[in-house]
Amino acid sequence: MKILVVEDEPKTGEYLRQGLMEAGFMVDLARDGADGQHLALTQAYDLAILDVMLPSMNGWDILRGIRQAGKDMPVMFLTAKDDVDHRVKGLELGADDYLVKPFAFSELLARVRTLLRRGTKVKEAESLRAADLELDLLRRRVTRAGHKIDLTAKEFALLELLLRRQGEVLPRSLIASQVWDMNFDSDTNVIEVAVRRLRAKVDDAFEEKLIRTVRGMGYVLEAP
Amino acid sequence: MRLPGARSVTLRLTLLFASASGVVLMVLGMVVGHLVERHFAELDTEMLSGKLELARHVLGQVHTAADLQALTPRVEAAFVGDHELSLRIRATDGTILYASPDADFPRVSTDPGGVAGLVHAADGRELRVLAGSAPLGMQVPPVLVELATDLVHHQHFMSSFRAALWATVGLAAFVTGLMGWAVARRGLAPLRAITSDAARLTAERLDWRVPVDSVPQELAEVAVALNQMLARLERSFRRLSDFSSDLAHELRTPLSNLLTQTQVTLSQPRSAAQYRDTLASNAEEYERLSRTISDMLFLAKAENDLMVPQREPVDLREEVETMLEFYGNLAEEKSIVVSVSGQASVAGDRLMLRRAIGNLLSNACRHTPVAGAISVVLSSVPGGGTTITVRNTGETIDAQHLPHLFDRFYRADAARRRDAEGAGLGLAITRSILRAHGGAASARSSDGVTEFELTLPA
Repeated sequence: MKILVVEDEPKTGEYLRQGLMEAGFMVDLARDGADGQHLALTQAYDLAILDVMLPSMNGWDILRGIRQAGKDMPVMFLTAKDDVDHRVKGLELGADDYLVKPFAFSELLARVRTLLRRGTKVKEAESLRAADLELDLLRRRVTRAGHKIDLTAKEFALLELLLRRQGEVLPRSLIASQVWDMNFDSDTNVIEVAVRRLRAKVDDAFEEKLIRTVRGMGYVLEAP
Repeated sequence: MRLPGARSVTLRLTLLFASASGVVLMVLGMVVGHLVERHFAELDTEMLSGKLELARHVLGQVHTAADLQALTPRVEAAFVGDHELSLRIRATDGTILYASPDADFPRVSTDPGGVAGLVHAADGRELRVLAGSAPLGMQVPPVLVELATDLVHHQHFMSSFRAALWATVGLAAFVTGLMGWAVARRGLAPLRAITSDAARLTAERLDWRVPVDSVPQELAEVAVALNQMLARLERSFRRLSDFSSDLAHELRTPLSNLLTQTQVTLSQPRSAAQYRDTLASNAEEYERLSRTISDMLFLAKAENDLMVPQREPVDLREEVETMLEFYGNLAEEKSIVVSVSGQASVAGDRLMLRRAIGNLLSNACRHTPVAGAISVVLSSVPGGGTTITVRNTGETIDAQHLPHLFDRFYRADAARRRDAEGAGLGLAITRSILRAHGGAASARSSDGVTEFELTLPA
């Protein structure tokens, strides 16, 4: 997977590149709008992450150029201005996502993965599993090592999210919005509590712990 | 380009005064002149009729042809001293029987009405003339008497009258214009004072107000409006500067923590685990910072009326229940009993209302002690407003804090440590959302029960 990052702020650009590369992506970084558009039009990318305010050419112009050239890769905007007009303009031009600075890197990563997944149609799984944990989507049943685990509807949804995105660190804000539809900066203590309760049911009785807290980032479910 | 309405008031008043007094005086002068002229004409007519009678009398004394021969001395004797009067006597055939030396005016026809007419003499003088027939004292046809009086005296009078009139009009126009100018300048003096004060107005002196009592009535309204505008500006400005100083203050503590922690960590070699620990703790602090910033931005927009709520039907019961699923996690941890009662639907911004209510629930969860209770009561009066009440058990909040609970960064307990969520903006955001919806938020606390109430208009 190859990602184009157009970001003029040197530190942000460098960290984005490093973070995305460490997450397993190939990354090209452009420092101004003209370079960015040149790369976007001449190379093949699976995703472009564009800063809105750029020297020589802004992110919107780059996006316009990309779409005019008939390229339909997903495009995500980064901006320091949380402005509805900005958001609307970006989306009208055909942007796929919009992230306001400052953002958590885990949030960016989660959204990048969502966008990249959007194109590839995976067949609807009937069950999800990690190690000896199995979640049956049809019967809405969870078992671990053959033992049935009783979960509330929200706990089930939370576990499903963690399982679907195994190995990805999910930020609390993403969990709040996906599981509880809380789309504002809500009390993230709640997520801690909810994860702790889920863990008590899923992990506590077992030697192998599947759900891990990544301090400062979020939660991840992965088989050891 | 200046619009017509933008011309100087002083100039306009000056011109108005001058022209008004000029026109009035001129009309008055013309009326007086006309009356005087008419009076002169009446006097002349009267005088000429008298003289005609006198001439008739003299001619009535003519009884014989000899008398007729001696007509000249008789007439001259009768009219001695009448220098302004010219007299001519003709027989019916037109022959002149007598003519005074200056009687060179054209023939005057007999006017039965005895009204004097105006003619011009050969030399251009204007004359008032009167003619009448006069019988002689003998058996011959009556003669015609023509009388004329020179108008030059009247004309002298009238021309000096006009000259005086014009001079007076001019002077009066000038003087009243001057007065108008003075009045306008004096009247507008407070305006100039306001202008020069306003010119010195800066952000530091926004408390300045136009002294309403010392300006003329007509300007008082403007002054009041100006003062109101200044008050609004001052409020906004104060809010803005409070806002930035609050923000700076609130950011200082976490930033200084971050800096200290990072520098201490860097001061000597440490294990990877220790570095990780520091970075993770930093990340948590950064998240808090960025949340504070976005909350502040939300508040800033709300306070400046940039937050326009959408209006969609929102079932509050449903929203509260959804949120309780979320916050219920916290409540259960503390064995808090949560209940909802009542139904209400409003037209509002779903996301914003959720946030407003969510903040109250989060606040309640945080402050309710273990095994306490939280209840949410929804009620709506048909055609009236809707209220959302969030009640929780716990320590009674001192009455002095209640009005400030919704202020940003307000903490009832000044020494209370900043807990994970407690930037102190939640309730401020709740209030700003309610205000954006035209509603209000209030708090009550007594006997171990604290109650937050949100009211939304119908």
